[in-house]
Amino acid sequence: MKRLLAALLLALAPMAATPDAVAQEAALAPPSLAAELSVNRVEVTTAFSGSEILVFGATERLIGPEGDEVVVLVIGPETSAIVRQKVSVMGFWVNGAAARFNRVPSYWALASTRPVPAMLDRVERAELRLGLDQLPLVQLGAQGPTFRLALADLQQDAGLWVDRDRPIQVSGGRLFHARLPLPATVAHGIYQVQVMLVRDRRVVARQELRLDVVRTGTAAWIADIAREQPVLYGIACIILAGLAGWIGSVVFRRG
Amino acid sequence: MQVYLPIAEMSVDALLLLGIGFGVGWLSGLFGVGGGFLLTPLLILIGIPSTVAVGSGANQTLGASVSGLIAQWRRGNVDFRMGAVLIIGGFFGSLVGVQLFAWLRRAGQVDLAVAIFYVVVLGSVGALMVRESLAAILRRKRARPARLHEHLWMHGLPFKMRFRKSRLYISVIPPLGIGFAIGVLSAIMGVGGGFMLVPAMIYLLGMPTAVVIGTSLFQVVFVTANVTFLQAIQVGSVDIVLTLLLLAGGVSGAQFGAAMGTKLRGEEMRALLGALVLAVALSLLWDLLRVPEALFVIGPVP
Repeated sequence: MKRLLAALLLALAPMAATPDAVAQEAALAPPSLAAELSVNRVEVTTAFSGSEILVFGATERLIGPEGDEVVVLVIGPETSAIVRQKVSVMGFWVNGAAARFNRVPSYWALASTRPVPAMLDRVERAELRLGLDQLPLVQLGAQGPTFRLALADLQQDAGLWVDRDRPIQVSGGRLFHARLPLPATVAHGIYQVQVMLVRDRRVVARQELRLDVVRTGTAAWIADIAREQPVLYGIACIILAGLAGWIGSVVFRRG
Repeated sequence: MQVYLPIAEMSVDALLLLGIGFGVGWLSGLFGVGGGFLLTPLLILIGIPSTVAVGSGANQTLGASVSGLIAQWRRGNVDFRMGAVLIIGGFFGSLVGVQLFAWLRRAGQVDLAVAIFYVVVLGSVGALMVRESLAAILRRKRARPARLHEHLWMHGLPFKMRFRKSRLYISVIPPLGIGFAIGVLSAIMGVGGGFMLVPAMIYLLGMPTAVVIGTSLFQVVFVTANVTFLQAIQVGSVDIVLTLLLLAGGVSGAQFGAAMGTKLRGEEMRALLGALVLAVALSLLWDLLRVPEALFVIGPVP
């Protein structure tokens, strides 16, 4: 990131008269990009059925192919996953070769005012990881690109990887907002939201926001007990199920 | 109304779970089986991961069987002595079964193993039950007196014990073995095993039909309790929210089923149960044979 900013400054330097003038101008000029999240915290409760991330903000210049363009990238906590290929063995479909992926973002979403490949060239896209094909996944086990493609397909089907599902909405020329869907299966943890301003095929400003997805209430409490006190949890499950059965037989006793 | 399941880490329609619970509970009361053999496949069908479906299925079967057991107990249809022998076998069986389940999960073959177990076990039991009960119905129509029970080679084994309620004097080895086998199946399939225990008690042990259902429920309650405990510790796959929602529908259904079951004759009931078991087996077999919708599946790292 720092390297990138340095490169940007170098690129901009010849345009200004002196480096001092650039610094002064930057301090006085309004920020070229301002963005914010509607909420900084998403609570996963027992009634959670999915949500959405609303990113909004404003740019300095008018938004359009000739002026400013905006890209929003959301990356959820990393996880590992196994992708298994189904193979036919004597007419039965069974799990065959498997590839393990490390450093898989449990959630990944990209939104932009215009398709990213039309805005930025390949090198820059790779540097900023703007695109499902740019994710730095570590693949172990079975090799081959099919597993990676399958992972991307399955994650997109599950709504966990969203590649420009809906474009960023622009109103009044300079105000923008992006809605990114969070399905009910999202992992909890820290979500990095990056808002980038693209001008002349370069990212000229960037803002990082943080979103916390936390499990709260009964759901979190149950999950914590099940993980930390499995013996207690197991006994509680037995007693609760037995009690529910007994109460039911009393309540619904017939005759 | 959506509800978030903390262990399955997904949200499901609560009304759907209540409905499934009611339907399965009704059958459970009607036939005296836990209904787990229907519940686990149904849960997998609506998208619950197999591990959670099996763990919570066993837990639900426990609750559903308690209400059935109480109903049978009141009518004096439980042979506690036979139940105790079956439980001892079942305890060790479920211990072995959960180890096997944990191993299959690491190997990534849980889905397949669960499906194959269902197809083989349900298919053979269902076919056997349908055939036998149809034969019994035909025999009754011809009005030929049937013997109380057949004497098989296994009744000649040592360690004989008298089971007064079942009017039996047999070796404890067959019931111990049956209990063990049911325990293994219970752990892998998330079932109570009543659908197998009932025919095994009738055909292998020669118990009278009247005490079979109550006694099988007695065994099922204890074995599913053991499976719940072991699954919670070893696999961490028991979702209490899922269990309680299924039970809320299940316990009411079970009472309606039990009331209805008393009106049906033994042979007809067995034929119906056999047909149902067979239908579940065939639908699961079809799932294994048809070309899957997705040629890749994604799973967590065990």
